[in-house]
Amino acid sequence: MENKNKILVVEDEKTLRFLIVQSLKDDGFEVYESIDGEEGIKLAKESKPDLILLDLLLPGMNGFDVLSQLKRDSSTESIPVIILSNCGQEEEIERGMKLGATDYLVKAHFTLDEIAERVKKILG
Amino acid sequence: MINQTENRGITSIIIENLTDGLLFFNKENKVSLINPAACRVFQINKDDILGRKIDDFSNFEKLSNLFYLLGKEIKEYFKKELEINRDLILEVTSIPVEEKGDKIGSLVIIHNVTREKMIEKMKTEFVSISAHQLRTPLSEINWSLEVLGSEKIGKLTEGQKEVLKKAHYSNKRILNLVDDLLNVVKIEEGRRVYDLIPVDFENIVQSVIKLYQEKIRNKQIKFEFQVPNKKLPKVNVDTKKISLVIQNLLENAISYNIVGGMITIKLENKGKEIEFSIEDSGIGIPENEHKNVFQKFFRAENALKKETDGNGLGLFIVKNIVEAHNGRVWFESIKDKGSTFYFSLPVK
Repeated sequence: MENKNKILVVEDEKTLRFLIVQSLKDDGFEVYESIDGEEGIKLAKESKPDLILLDLLLPGMNGFDVLSQLKRDSSTESIPVIILSNCGQEEEIERGMKLGATDYLVKAHFTLDEIAERVKKILG
Repeated sequence: MINQTENRGITSIIIENLTDGLLFFNKENKVSLINPAACRVFQINKDDILGRKIDDFSNFEKLSNLFYLLGKEIKEYFKKELEINRDLILEVTSIPVEEKGDKIGSLVIIHNVTREKMIEKMKTEFVSISAHQLRTPLSEINWSLEVLGSEKIGKLTEGQKEVLKKAHYSNKRILNLVDDLLNVVKIEEGRRVYDLIPVDFENIVQSVIKLYQEKIRNKQIKFEFQVPNKKLPKVNVDTKKISLVIQNLLENAISYNIVGGMITIKLENKGKEIEFSIEDSGIGIPENEHKNVFQKFFRAENALKKETDGNGLGLFIVKNIVEAHNGRVWFESIKDKGSTFYFSLPVK
């Protein structure tokens, strides 16, 4: 397939990352993965993904910090970010959306298919 | 017999030795009594504070918060929580003292609840952290089963699919339970305190009923919604939370009802309160279990048999939400005949 959409997955949990990456690849996306925030930001700048799936609880820098850095940097600010986390308190969702996330999904409430659907919808 | 003077002596000894702090303000709102417990809590010397007006409290680090709460006129409070700082949380009660109908001052009682609050907080944090930690492996199982079921990595036999479906269902149930646990925690700690706005209560009830029309029809239940002719006054509620209360009650009335049974929801104006009631012709609650109905995780024996899906949290959540609105909740129930649940909300 030409012009594959590129997705960056920032997720520290090995099994979750494996499953989500595999599912997106099966759907024909080109997938980059990173296990922490620092690496995620670096990859976002280098590979210019079309969309980022971002976990919140990460080793070192947390997802909120990653998000605000991405939104402050002119080279990454326009990339849509979906927060994909198991934290689902109202204040966390509010904070994520305020920082500029396009969507906020609680992992436990979504199937892999549903997540892929959201991704496709945002990429239009 | 103890004479008057001796009596006074004993009274002052009792006050001196009370573990709660006591302050008495005279008619001019000046401190005329402070006991050692109060001095300890606020880390002040008795002599520095006796005779001072409440207005002067703003000059003392730990007393200033008390002043901001009570105000110059010393407002009345009952067990009002006052956080001095992170390590000191108090419950303040302030009552006017009268002698022969004349106000002679105000009594302020200080109860230190720091320890209780800390334990409460630890408990809450523990539950919310463990719930969150549970979600990660559960999501992994959920997604792994989904991948297997999609047959993307290999064909399955019908038997394997069946087993997978059951595993998926059980996993989903644990995930739901984790959600419920998190909800309970939130409700207990009162974090979702309530944007109270005046609303038309009837509208809220109507919109909840709409959600359940299909379920009611499927069970061939005769459903009735009775409202008074005269329009009900508005009530101050958090719409989302009160909807959850009605949902839980209606869901119970449907789930534990018989096929072809009846449900009646009634709204009544009781002057100072609006009363909501929901009557069903369901399995009822055995009398010996009435006292446990509003406890979390409680499920009556006959309910366990009828519906394996419940988690025993619905009515616990109902009670917490209604009470957070200064309302009351109660019920009447006869086994095998049905139940009526009531709650009332104060009209402002």
